Amino acid sequence: MTTVDHLPLTPAVFHILLALSSGERHGYGIMKQVEADSQGKVTMGPGTLYGSLKRMLDAGLVKESDKRVDPEMDDERRIYYQITGVGAQALAAELERYKHIVTLAKDRKLLPKTFAYDV
Amino acid sequence: MMSEQDAVRSLYKRLLAFYPRVFREQLAESMEQTFNDLCNEKRQAKQGLLGFVAWAFIETAIGIFREHLLLISPGDIMQTILKTLGSPTLISLLLVLPFMIMEVVNRRNFNEDFPFVLFFVLWLNLFAISLILLPIVRGRRTGNHDMANPVPTQRNTLLTNPRSVLMISVVLILSVVILSLLDSLGWVPLERLLNGPNPEQLYVFRVRVPSQFIALVLFSLPIAAGVVAGMPIVRTLRAGGSLFAHPFHLIIVVVISFLFAAGVVSMLVDQWPCFIGVPNCD
Repeated sequence: MTTVDHLPLTPAVFHILLALSSGERHGYGIMKQVEADSQGKVTMGPGTLYGSLKRMLDAGLVKESDKRVDPEMDDERRIYYQITGVGAQALAAELERYKHIVTLAKDRKLLPKTFAYDV
Repeated sequence: MMSEQDAVRSLYKRLLAFYPRVFREQLAESMEQTFNDLCNEKRQAKQGLLGFVAWAFIETAIGIFREHLLLISPGDIMQTILKTLGSPTLISLLLVLPFMIMEVVNRRNFNEDFPFVLFFVLWLNLFAISLILLPIVRGRRTGNHDMANPVPTQRNTLLTNPRSVLMISVVLILSVVILSLLDSLGWVPLERLLNGPNPEQLYVFRVRVPSQFIALVLFSLPIAAGVVAGMPIVRTLRAGGSLFAHPFHLIIVVVISFLFAAGVVSMLVDQWPCFIGVPNCD
């Protein structure tokens, strides 16, 4: 499966890849990072998070890392997830797609600072 | 004594058992840990657990349903649903059409209303029969009958395990039977449930919207029971197995189909004089 086959990414997959782009995380860590990245606008439940992770694991966008203890949390060993090369490519391609949309919106004066009536 | 949080965690662990086996083996442990982390977060923030627990349980239950659906139809779910419902809809419509034409041609009085409800119920009965039986007929026709390759190994989920499928269909049938029994004993006012407390006020363009909806839901229970019971039969037939490999499932399918067929026949017998234009029929 090529990178293009994964596009466009669903909002959940996009946010998970974005959260994992800055390092390996366990499930709860991904949730918190998604919340922080989206300034609290995206809240993912366990059903959505792990449903998306399952499909991402199957598609090779992410992979399970080793099982280890999070020093900031309890002493329970957790599975960490990390982005793969294919996942990073898919994220980059999706960001490129977003960039194109933003450029298009700017050209059409759709962004708040470029509204025709603001000028 | 078990604390409130321990009880919730234990319940969540039980909920996770409803995920398909492959999913469960791979991710259930992480899900449980994440749920516990979220519970701890709420506890430390001194926020109430109830709202969070309700949200997490509903969200996870939807996830379980989605995973089972994806397991049954790995491709486009919508396309699969349309493909499954398309033929029964068309076949039942074609079967009802001659009677609708007879009704129109032999109308005694053009001022009287066309009995849409009668034809809808007739169509629904025929739709139910074809929805239950068509996959079995197709399975029998496409079965490879290659005894060297018997029934393939199934992924063991709620909707692929013949035992759980049997239980689900029995529960669906029992819910209808118990409701009818309670109604006949006067314990559940089914008539009131269908007609509402004040039937006069529920009419919108002559259709009792809420009551019709409840009636449709009640009607769909035995249809769902028949479809669910037929699933293992269809899979066995497709794999070249025997129609009688699941006798209890077959009995349920036959009984439900027979009841719907009896409904069709009784309606046709009752309304036949009207179809052929006999004066003063009702």
